Amino acid sequence: MNGSNIHKVKEVEEMLLDVGTLLMSSGASTGRVRTTVNRIAEALGYDVELLITSRSLMLTVTEENGSDYTSSVRRTPPHGVNFKLVSGISRMSWRVIEDKMTVAQINEDINRLTSLPHYPRLVILSLVALAGASFCRLFGGEGWELVVTFVASFFGLFIRQEALKKSFNPYLAIVFASFAASMIAGLSVKLGIGDTPEHALATSVLFLIPGVPLINSLTDIIDGNTLNGIVRGVNGFVMAFAIALGLMFAMQIYGI
Amino acid sequence: MVLDILMILEKGIWFGFAALGFAVLFNVPQRALMIIWLIGAAGGLTKLIMMQCNIGIVIATFAGASLVGILSVSAAHNKHAPPLVFSIPSVIPMIPGAFAYRMMLGLMKLSGTAISNDNYYQTLAETTSNGLKALFILLALAVGVAIPMLISRKETIKKIRHKSDSLE
Repeated sequence: MNGSNIHKVKEVEEMLLDVGTLLMSSGASTGRVRTTVNRIAEALGYDVELLITSRSLMLTVTEENGSDYTSSVRRTPPHGVNFKLVSGISRMSWRVIEDKMTVAQINEDINRLTSLPHYPRLVILSLVALAGASFCRLFGGEGWELVVTFVASFFGLFIRQEALKKSFNPYLAIVFASFAASMIAGLSVKLGIGDTPEHALATSVLFLIPGVPLINSLTDIIDGNTLNGIVRGVNGFVMAFAIALGLMFAMQIYGI
Repeated sequence: MVLDILMILEKGIWFGFAALGFAVLFNVPQRALMIIWLIGAAGGLTKLIMMQCNIGIVIATFAGASLVGILSVSAAHNKHAPPLVFSIPSVIPMIPGAFAYRMMLGLMKLSGTAISNDNYYQTLAETTSNGLKALFILLALAVGVAIPMLISRKETIKKIRHKSDSLE
């Protein structure tokens, strides 16, 4: 067995593990992780077999015209949803085919993609709060109720971000956020601001809904990745339960 | 009639903003933001218009979500980003938040002790109805948005094979 050759296979494997775990943690479906990793490996001249679970990724890389192979497992990092990364890696995988990128170039690109900035915090907070107010309008709220929902969503998301920064359990962070948002919205019900303040209470927690896990769950199940689909679905339901728990605490306190 | 149409169009704007908020939360690339606003508004309007024509909310949501799925696939080809980047933020405004909230209230009432027998069955019926609606709307959303993506994924895989064959 040639020593330098196995070193090369190892290098490719490390890179593919990076690609797979990053995609998985930033909200790509299981099918997409498999397609992208296969695409990159094929373009570089390697065969790859994957075992994808929600918390870790295992793969075996084999040289297409050789006998060297290597296997490895890596834990999926617990980052949040990041579609800039998903779309960046997807674009890169096409460039690997078209521009014949080397492993070093791919690694450089992955580093560039992971260090891309998020939107400024104030922009995220305001636009998500605006989304909350939009929900309130869609469910029939008017005037002051929109303002209340805006404020409640703004502070709710702020609390969630702070809780995640202090590395609380992610479900607990949702309970905190849902509790904070519904305490603010519940105050408007108590004080009777607006005509139907219940709209504000019902929609103030909607910014927390686990859209990505629930939709990816169905995508995975339809795709045949049943186990991952179930895991994601349970994950989404626990998140929904966490939202309900926070809302329930606030409603018990106000006696609504 | 004209007022009705204006009311529905106004809601389309809010559907767009709700989608936009989630797009920013999920850190979508900047070039996709405008498209997501449009897709979210189009999906929501489809649902509202169908409901205006007395079509059930589950079917209406399914149609809206399918439209979002189809538009996302074509946007994905134009803007070079995977379809889920467009579709997930765009369908979130159609999530049955109000039904889920009412189901929650009902469950809390049912689990409480201060509820008389007559009230119990009425509340149970309402809670079941709201809960089932929420569940089925959610399923319609997820399936509606997933199907166009799955159909088109087959196409892209073919294209990859085709492309790598022609490169060799």
